[in-house]
Amino acid sequence: MPDVLVADQLEMVYGEGDTSTRALKDVSFGVNSGEFASIIGQSGSGKSTLLNILGLLDTPTGGRVILDDQDVTALDRTERARLRNRAIGFVFQFHHLLPEFTVSENMTMPAQISGRRIGEEDRERTTRILDLLGLEGLANKNANELSGGQKQRVAIGRALMNQPTIILADEPTGNLDSANTEGVYRLFREINQDLGTTFLIVTHDRGVAEMTDRVLEVRDGELVQDLRNTYLPPAGG
Amino acid sequence: MLIIAGIAVGIGIQVFVGSLITSLQADLVDSTVGSSPHITLLPDDDADFVSGALVGEVSDDPLVTTAIPVRRLSGIYTNGEDSLALSVTAGTSDDLDSIYRLSGRITEGSYRLDMAEILVGIGFSEDADVHAGDQLPLVLPYGTVGEYTVAGVFDLGAAAANDRLAFLDDASGAAALGQGADEYSAIEIQVEDVFASTETADRLAGIDGVSVVDWQDENEELLSGLAAQSGSSLMIQGFVLVAVALGIASTLAISAVQKTRQIGILKAMGMTDGSAGRIFLWQAALLGVAGVLLGIGLGYALIWGFSFAPVDFTVRPQASLILISAAIGIAVALASAIIPSRSTSRLDPIEVIQGA
Repeated sequence: MPDVLVADQLEMVYGEGDTSTRALKDVSFGVNSGEFASIIGQSGSGKSTLLNILGLLDTPTGGRVILDDQDVTALDRTERARLRNRAIGFVFQFHHLLPEFTVSENMTMPAQISGRRIGEEDRERTTRILDLLGLEGLANKNANELSGGQKQRVAIGRALMNQPTIILADEPTGNLDSANTEGVYRLFREINQDLGTTFLIVTHDRGVAEMTDRVLEVRDGELVQDLRNTYLPPAGG
Repeated sequence: MLIIAGIAVGIGIQVFVGSLITSLQADLVDSTVGSSPHITLLPDDDADFVSGALVGEVSDDPLVTTAIPVRRLSGIYTNGEDSLALSVTAGTSDDLDSIYRLSGRITEGSYRLDMAEILVGIGFSEDADVHAGDQLPLVLPYGTVGEYTVAGVFDLGAAAANDRLAFLDDASGAAALGQGADEYSAIEIQVEDVFASTETADRLAGIDGVSVVDWQDENEELLSGLAAQSGSSLMIQGFVLVAVALGIASTLAISAVQKTRQIGILKAMGMTDGSAGRIFLWQAALLGVAGVLLGIGLGYALIWGFSFAPVDFTVRPQASLILISAAIGIAVALASAIIPSRSTSRLDPIEVIQGA
């Protein structure tokens, strides 16, 4: 499997001189197409910084990010925005749905941002994804009328709509109870298996990380472990 | 919604005040000089009269609408111990009507100037107790006495004119002054645009043997009054616009703060800085257009409402003023969006995601 996303000797330094902080130190790894991986680390370990850089939201002070064989490190803000729209799906801790819009309008937001006219194909895809998410028949409901778990599932659907190269999820279940948390991960897994979508999930919860096939552990800005489904006990075990 | 109402009130006031002032000034100017000569050609110091042949030459000027030859004399009416002075203008009835518009202002008798007939103002008529059909003896220059019949009494709407002015038939005027058929006291002229009279006056000053009197030289106080009125009106309109601009800017600034999180997320999903910035330009444009349209409606409503006010003139909506107000209103709305638009454009999605 080829690497769809590569972190190559990533460095991130905040501030200058004596007060500077090195948030990432020479971090290198690649994520294969179709992989279901997680980044784990304590609060302040640098995992969110790493995700922001991989998600083209931030620029590293050193090293490169390669997405779909393209070095994207030096792209300007507009080019990065367009690439984010096309190749990356985000799922955040908070759903960030637009409350004034319906479920389907929220889902098609990335397509609308790209300037594309919403057509029959998009509507069909919305319905298909809503079915997959267990949200049948809610397309025309206002986002405000959904429960917390439903909203987060819509946010996942939104991330899937543009058929991105990779989905980056930052503590995607941080606001959910345990039942919903497990539901979301089961959903991630189904999407990964059914659609072949690549996932990279950031979490501080080892139990959550253990549900994935690969765990990258970040500590004090360094990648200290990269384990592939070897010693991890089964999820929930 | 409230901000649209705010813009509408601002633009409505612009349209109304602007139209009111313009109509008021037009009315004032019309009542001051609408029924009197704008430019008068008098014989210069070396001449006793101007030639009637000049009328043709003057009429060739494209800006001149009317030019008539007249004779001017003063007359004194004595009734027992009282003496009343009259400033008499003599000419043909058609000529005089083209400038003084007397035919529509006759309150007694009729508008005609046959041989030895005179028209007097309503003020004089009351003071001297002289009415249509009465004989009017006037002491004329050189001590002669003219006997005229009052053909009609006019009301020019101004006390001074009604007390002092009189109009006499051309032949009687010529006889009283001893002037020949082609010899006149003055050529009286009206031009298309009263405020452009100076340009025409300057051109006519080139004619030999005449001196030129421009109404603007003799009405400097009125003109400076009109200028002051225009200035204060512009100032009011300027302040209204500033208030509108501040209203839109504060609304958009609040909106920008409220929407920061949503815009941050849209940016994370790939919205470019330019598109994010344009959100507020569009919002401002929509607010501006809606406010301006409502404001124009409000302005018309105010003008319509004013038509019921007990005043003697009508406010006419000024199309050019409305277009300018609309353009300025939308421009102000767009300008107010610059700051929120810039801050939105520079917003970094990470700030929003990490702060969530």
